[in-house]
Amino acid sequence: MNKSAETSEKKGAVLPIKTSIQDSIKDLLKNGIDHCVFDAVMIPLRVPAGDSFSYVLIKNKSLLNDAFPLPPTMSVQGAKAVSSVTRLGNRNMKIAAVMRPCEIRATIELTKLDQTDLENIILISMDCPGTMPILDMVNEPEKTMTLFNDATKSWDDTQMRPVCQICDKSSMVAGDLHIGTLGTDKKSFFIIPNSTKGKDILEKLKLPLTDSIDSWNKKVKENSEKKLKKRQEVHSDLKNKIGDLTNLLDIFSQCINCHNCMRVCPICSCRLCYFDSNKVKHSSEEYLQRAKDKGSIRILPDTTLFHMGRMMHMSLSCVSCGSCEDACPMSIPVAQIFSMVADETQRLFDYVAGRCLEEPLPLRTYKEDELHEVEDVHG
Amino acid sequence: MKKDDIFLPKILTFLCNWCSYAGADLAGTSRLQYPASILPVRVMCSSRVDPLLILRAFLNGFDGVLVTGCHLGDCHYQEGNYYTRRRFVMLKKVFDSLGLESDRLRLSWVSAAEGQKYAKVATEFTQKIRELGENSSKNKIFL
Repeated sequence: MNKSAETSEKKGAVLPIKTSIQDSIKDLLKNGIDHCVFDAVMIPLRVPAGDSFSYVLIKNKSLLNDAFPLPPTMSVQGAKAVSSVTRLGNRNMKIAAVMRPCEIRATIELTKLDQTDLENIILISMDCPGTMPILDMVNEPEKTMTLFNDATKSWDDTQMRPVCQICDKSSMVAGDLHIGTLGTDKKSFFIIPNSTKGKDILEKLKLPLTDSIDSWNKKVKENSEKKLKKRQEVHSDLKNKIGDLTNLLDIFSQCINCHNCMRVCPICSCRLCYFDSNKVKHSSEEYLQRAKDKGSIRILPDTTLFHMGRMMHMSLSCVSCGSCEDACPMSIPVAQIFSMVADETQRLFDYVAGRCLEEPLPLRTYKEDELHEVEDVHG
Repeated sequence: MKKDDIFLPKILTFLCNWCSYAGADLAGTSRLQYPASILPVRVMCSSRVDPLLILRAFLNGFDGVLVTGCHLGDCHYQEGNYYTRRRFVMLKKVFDSLGLESDRLRLSWVSAAEGQKYAKVATEFTQKIRELGENSSKNKIFL
């Protein structure tokens, strides 16, 4: 996985689709278990009630039949799932984790934060048409399934979450293997290795690499350019809409301080968050002092501090997965605001969250000769 | 204009223990004049200053926040101020992208020998904040 890999042309293997793309992916995974390439598969499964999906670690390959490699909604961010399995180390079991590209990128960021152990994990991503709002699935499961199935064929993202509609990295290859469904003839799909681990697996499964995935490369480039343009438009609209402190407060004024956005955020992995610590628990004297200073004080206080504080702490690793917006009970466009800020802060350091494992976190490294514009020009 | 009418801003200033605090001390012992707007906080290193502390000061109504540290290459902990600079530029970018006044934040390198420079920075930054006026978050309740 290297930085230049993002732009360079990919090579991959071409596989036929027998019944459906989801079944073919499952066959591939079964094949992997048969060939002992991996011992278990971490993949979403529809819950018995039918209105949500959950990651499961499947050891018995017959259970793979019920799996959904690409579910319509994202109930738990995959990076959180990988982290909970491997945070204490993983020496014994090779696990193939099947996730969306944004989940893979969050996993890579979490690895840099020492929250996962990827040694025995094989990250498998696939072209993502977007994710539907999590409540759609709860309210109308069957309709949502149908809409999503149609969208995977037509690549129409109008039903997807707003932050997915402006995702230019929906085919970003950051894990070990990537399943390409764009630019195919609908009778076949591509499997693209992105690391030596990935290449070894294709060799073991006897899947020869061919050069004939140009159509995928072309289509992905086209798609991401289109989305990037839209992303920039939406971000600049949002930036104009905010523009000052008053408008910013207006947007966050509906916040009910549930901190769901932080709980579901894959990047917010601190054992003790500042906003759970005693530093934000004030004595009544302090409240009174602040009320005296300003004339009055809202209780609970520090809503803006929370949201902006989170931007300081995690925006450089934000992958715009949209989990925060899904979790917000007040429908505040958290993910869109965060993705706008994240794009700007990451651009400062020529960094893209989750692009590659070898790129250090921007705040953990420095260059001696850089960023002189923020230093004072006095004397 | 009466003396009371001149707006005296409140500026929170983080001073690193090894250089800038000594620099500020030198300004004092040299009897240099600079505005009383500065509220000093001594920290062991400028990289101790979590951007969140700066943000908290800003949202609680401080008119400006000044972070000072050793000159690059002179950090007592070898490389602390390089990290400070990266954090500071990120903080300013977050402010800019949300349309907040990032001019109220300043980073300055002041060595132990630069009492003169410290007084100058304090004077100029106070002047700059005077031009900007009061921090609007001072009157905001729903923060």
